[in-house]
Amino acid sequence: MKTKTEGKRLAILKAAADVFREVGFERASMSEIRARIGGSKATLYNYFPSKEKLFFEVMYHAKELELASITHTLNPDADDLKEELLHFGQRLLAVLYSPEAIAIRRLAIAESRHSNIGKIVFEGATLPIEKQVAEFLRKGMKGGALRTADPKTAAMQLLSLLESELLQRVLLGVVSSVKPEALNSAARRAVETFLSGYGRR
Amino acid sequence: MHVKKSDFKRQAILDAAYRLFRAQGFEKTSVAEITAEVGGSKATIYSHFPSKEALFVECMLAAAENYTAGTLKHLDTSRADPELALRNFGTSFLSFICSPEQLEVRRLMIAEAARSGTGKLFFDKISALRADVSAFLSARMASGTLRADDSNLAADHLGALLEAEILEPLLLQVREVSPEAEEIALAVKRAVAAFLRAYAPAGRQRRPLRRRRRHGAPKNDWRVPPPGEKESHSA
Repeated sequence: MKTKTEGKRLAILKAAADVFREVGFERASMSEIRARIGGSKATLYNYFPSKEKLFFEVMYHAKELELASITHTLNPDADDLKEELLHFGQRLLAVLYSPEAIAIRRLAIAESRHSNIGKIVFEGATLPIEKQVAEFLRKGMKGGALRTADPKTAAMQLLSLLESELLQRVLLGVVSSVKPEALNSAARRAVETFLSGYGRR
Repeated sequence: MHVKKSDFKRQAILDAAYRLFRAQGFEKTSVAEITAEVGGSKATIYSHFPSKEALFVECMLAAAENYTAGTLKHLDTSRADPELALRNFGTSFLSFICSPEQLEVRRLMIAEAARSGTGKLFFDKISALRADVSAFLSARMASGTLRADDSNLAADHLGALLEAEILEPLLLQVREVSPEAEEIALAVKRAVAAFLRAYAPAGRQRRPLRRRRRHGAPKNDWRVPPPGEKESHSA
């Protein structure tokens, strides 16, 4: 068997990214990707054992970076905590509910038994966001804007609330995309509920 | 109770289909294969279920429907204390959805929904189940123990709070073992506390159940705290 090269790997990733972008994940096929780069199907499968793995490789890291850039914008010294959370929630949902992120999410759940994709997503995306949000909330509690509670629990609750109206609908493919206005208003309702629960009265 | 012969057949079809779909997924399982397991003809199956898709949805959600029918009593609106009612409901709900079997059903449902076009069927059924929670909350809003708001939204928020601490690592198999009763009870307690604070009627503050009961539970579900009283934290 030929040794794998980084150049070939990158060429495959590039071709796959093009195909996924052009026809979407469902309709993309390994043979179409192979056709773009030449070589045998066996070679392609030698690099990536499935369309799912390939898709994950292509899409995940870009999304991971996008998510990281959002959490780092949470400013604990902001004057208006509600505005800060709202802004964060809306940006978070915009990334999480992009077609690529949804496909990754669905894949992570569906494939979790057969691969480590679930673990990669949880450790690379879920946990860091949770940690950043918890840190922000902890400062809010310390500063007196929020009632004192376990910041980690509060962070998980806030993140879950943000997705409460959308997650099931989108994972089940009932809607293929959510309009920005709908994301924004769902985020607003979630933040309001969260702050009614955790705000000082 | 008299059970019709065709009900037995229907159940046999559901059982066989459930086993086959779980073992091989939606695509690889054929109606012919299900027929081979239960006997009869394809026509028999189609006399009970309009399509393979409908059969898939039906057998995946059969447990959830049985569960919902059995859980409704926890949502009895005549119960005096919404916190207790919600905690009972939350505990049973979370234990159910975190069971290894239901986690697998959920994974399969999500994996197949987009591919097979069954997503809408699943969603409609799940929405019907959620309607019961929504009705419970709606009655509470009408009686003034919760603030008036969109009860469907409140049901979504309650569900999200209940799942917040536990579901995702299980679904992604980062965590292998389903939670014990004690862990579920704590997560439910925190979720219900946050929910009741968030949906408390305007101007009223909820006093935690624990303290109220220790001092002999008053009849009122809600009370206005005396000025200056500190809220105690249960989380």
